[in-house]
Amino acid sequence: MNSKLGEFEEIVLMLVAAQHEEAYGLSVTKAIEKELERSVTMSSVHTALYRLEEKGFVSSKIGDAEGNRRGRRKRVFIITAQGKSALKETREARNHIWNMIPKFVLDIG
Amino acid sequence: MNQDKNYIDPPKSAERFFEWYCQPALYDSILGDLYERFDDNVEQFGARKAKRKFWFDVIRFINRHTLKKSGQSKYFNNMSILNNYFKVGFRNLIKNRSFTAINVLGLSVSMAVCLVIILMINDQLSYDNWQVNSDKTYRFTHNDRNDLNIPIATVPMPLGEEMHDKFAGFEHMVTFRRGFFGDIIQNGKAIALQGYFTEPSFFELFSFELERGNPKTALSEPNSIVLKKDIAEKLFKDQDPMGQSIEVGKYGVYQVTGVLKEFPGKTHIKFESLVSMSSLANLEKRKVLGSSLGNWNNASESWIYFKLRDGYSIEGLQAYLTEAEKEHYEADSDERKEFEIQKMSKITPGPLYGNQIGAGMPNFFVIGLGVLAILIIICATFNYTNLSAARALTRTKEVGVRKVMGAKKTQLTIQFIVESILVSVLSLCVAIGLLQFLIPAFENLQMSALLEWELRPDPKAYLQFFAFSVLLGLITGIFPSLYLASFKPIQAMKNSVSNTKLSRLSLRKALIVTQFVISIVLIVSSVLVYKQIKFMVEKDYGFTKENILNVHMQGQDFRKFETELEKLPFIESVTATNNIPGMGTEYSEEAKLKTGETFPLNYFDVDEDYISSLELELIAGRNFLKSAASVNQQSVILNETAVDKFGFESSVDAVGEQFYIENDSTVYNVVGVVKDYNYMMLVMDIGPMMLRYDPVGFRIAQIKIAGFDRVKEITAIEDVWDEFDPNHEIILKTFQGEIDEFNALFYDILYIVGLVAILSISIAGMGLLGISTYAIQIRMKEVSIRKVLGASVRTLIFLLSKSLSIMLTISFIIGFSLAYMANNVWLNQFAYRTSFGVDVFFMTALAMTVIGAMTIGWQAWRATKANPATTLRDD
Repeated sequence: MNSKLGEFEEIVLMLVAAQHEEAYGLSVTKAIEKELERSVTMSSVHTALYRLEEKGFVSSKIGDAEGNRRGRRKRVFIITAQGKSALKETREARNHIWNMIPKFVLDIG
Repeated sequence: MNQDKNYIDPPKSAERFFEWYCQPALYDSILGDLYERFDDNVEQFGARKAKRKFWFDVIRFINRHTLKKSGQSKYFNNMSILNNYFKVGFRNLIKNRSFTAINVLGLSVSMAVCLVIILMINDQLSYDNWQVNSDKTYRFTHNDRNDLNIPIATVPMPLGEEMHDKFAGFEHMVTFRRGFFGDIIQNGKAIALQGYFTEPSFFELFSFELERGNPKTALSEPNSIVLKKDIAEKLFKDQDPMGQSIEVGKYGVYQVTGVLKEFPGKTHIKFESLVSMSSLANLEKRKVLGSSLGNWNNASESWIYFKLRDGYSIEGLQAYLTEAEKEHYEADSDERKEFEIQKMSKITPGPLYGNQIGAGMPNFFVIGLGVLAILIIICATFNYTNLSAARALTRTKEVGVRKVMGAKKTQLTIQFIVESILVSVLSLCVAIGLLQFLIPAFENLQMSALLEWELRPDPKAYLQFFAFSVLLGLITGIFPSLYLASFKPIQAMKNSVSNTKLSRLSLRKALIVTQFVISIVLIVSSVLVYKQIKFMVEKDYGFTKENILNVHMQGQDFRKFETELEKLPFIESVTATNNIPGMGTEYSEEAKLKTGETFPLNYFDVDEDYISSLELELIAGRNFLKSAASVNQQSVILNETAVDKFGFESSVDAVGEQFYIENDSTVYNVVGVVKDYNYMMLVMDIGPMMLRYDPVGFRIAQIKIAGFDRVKEITAIEDVWDEFDPNHEIILKTFQGEIDEFNALFYDILYIVGLVAILSISIAGMGLLGISTYAIQIRMKEVSIRKVLGASVRTLIFLLSKSLSIMLTISFIIGFSLAYMANNVWLNQFAYRTSFGVDVFFMTALAMTVIGAMTIGWQAWRATKANPATTLRDD
């Protein structure tokens, strides 16, 4: 099984976890735009979510229709146990590499 | 969140598109997100941009997750079948190469003509559509009691001001006044400049932009002029035109206050320069120009365009116009005018108007072209239908097998329609190739220079072409495909369709006859138009044109020029006139009959050498006297028609009579009578005419030369002119050349008619080929059996062509009688008309018969040569 997380997928997955039980396509898009100041199309976020679902990192359920949705319901995404461990793994891998960096390299100036 | 907010809806088309492709499982949630996003965007960027963004979002969502999956979707399945239709269709076309070639050829030729017409109409529709206000701009027009009963595009100048005072709804109003035309002398050369007087609001109403200068002030000061870019470059080369002064003819000195940018598109307003309206008052006061300011009776020199403010209606304005009519004109006077309003976008192509501000294509021309295109396409469609029906015979088995395999009728129908669309699109490719030859041919026409046709196809045009060809394919395909698909499988398999269904098909026969009739009418008409024009162009005018050169005096003194010229050895005579005969222009005075009634009497201002130079025949009286100007100025020479009109007993009796010209109550003595000659166009009757001696009118020198060495002689005359008037280029044309130029429009018509004739003949030929192929294929078995039993080739060919000959004969009878009736209508408009002789019919019949004999004979010959064993093998 392909359980590697892409960079963008990782961000999306983290945000799904962060917006626990509240994450859906547009909310994640908005968060990326706001928190990372990075412009992103809604469709790429959706695509990432579907891919994460295929990989088993998130699961989805049909939510409610609050907001200006003209009665259309949300698809809410929730991080799965597998997703959580994948996030942890990536973080550990990053920490490991981070620790490999000699201190003076980061001391700029 | 504000729940009862009155929100804007995203574009419905985008929603539909989304629904069309999106997987149902994801549809709801994504659409909801899209809505939310849209509302955010409306708040942030406004409705317009939000809608655009919505579309982009919808398009970006197309990917492997959102698309409907094959198998679970009805649509995707259809796609692959449609694909299959194309594949099968393409294979079929390749299999029957000769059939495909005939169809493609026939369709593409007629299609090419239709494409040209589409381009022409496109070109016409492109007028002024680049103007921001193009849809909201109107102009005043008027109707008066003119003889021709056509509306007129000009209106009296004060109308604009009065409407502006009474009606509050005008946002912009622009008046144009014509009459500005003069020479600018630069470095000893005269450059002609034309323009309109107009107001600063010109730049507000219209979308013309200035490259240099300020649009607000450029046209406000008196004696300001704004030039078009090309004219500015011509006048000032590399210098900066801004602020320069130019002296324009009799109009005085003008300062250049602006240069216009190149126009982004075509416009019906033709001008080289614009002059500030404030210059006009002084010019009218100095009598340089006739009065138009405040003059309600001069309705021939000003155009008024305007745009209304939002919320005001044209209907409201109309009431004020009617009021103005009543106020300024007596109810029953001849001066009475009816004011109307015309939308700018309806000007060209549009109804025929007098006094247009620029040349445009009248509606009837567009409609005429459209009808021609439709006729041609109908013929081509009939051909296609006939050929397809013929070929159907070879495909009965295919149909049978497919039906037995469970194919539905609709599926078969779609299959055949797809094939005909393929043929049609293939023809389009050939037609676009043909277009590369047709476009330059059309652009060389005289009238295309007049209308400034731009026939280069743009991407939009190609899209239209494509849509046109698909539509054509659909139309041509429907009948044969419905018919093919209706075969009963067993019959089809047994190959017995031909004997039952097809032979009884009288509809097809009717189609063939109709098509022949159209072809015959077209051919007869083309031959007649050709004959008529040839007849007119070659007809004797009654005066001599040979070795005569016309030099336009351009305001110079004729007598002085004549004296200079007469020093040249090869000059036979030099005569003066105000007007060149045979060009359709006329000048007339109101002559009074003894009863007190008046009638228009055409006149030519000529000198004493005129009659001898043009070799007119003086049948009574005498010519003007040499060097006796005062006597001559009271003398006239009439033509025979004028003698009749005045009611003089005979030409001889007319000499010595007197008559009055009403306006200036001049009395003229008739001193001579000339034999009638054609001084107008050849299409017109000879009217009453007089030659009079009036040096004021001597605008053209007609120089008769020996003609031994034309080039040398013309050069010598040019040298004389250059010395005589160094400011103007000589305008010298041969008499014949000038008349040919005038008749160029007729040559244009000849050209088009020739094209139509060739087209209709080839389409008719193609049709015959189709029908004969069909007729013979039905009877293949019969022919084979007869052949086996010992029939000769000749009897077989006779047998096969019999029914076709009958149809041809019926078509001849109907076609000829229709052509006779239709062509007499227009032929009777001509004073001098060609004969509607047997020769015309004979030529047409011969052409059709030769083509018929050739195609039928060829097919019949092929049939009789076929090996009976192959044809009969199946049974």
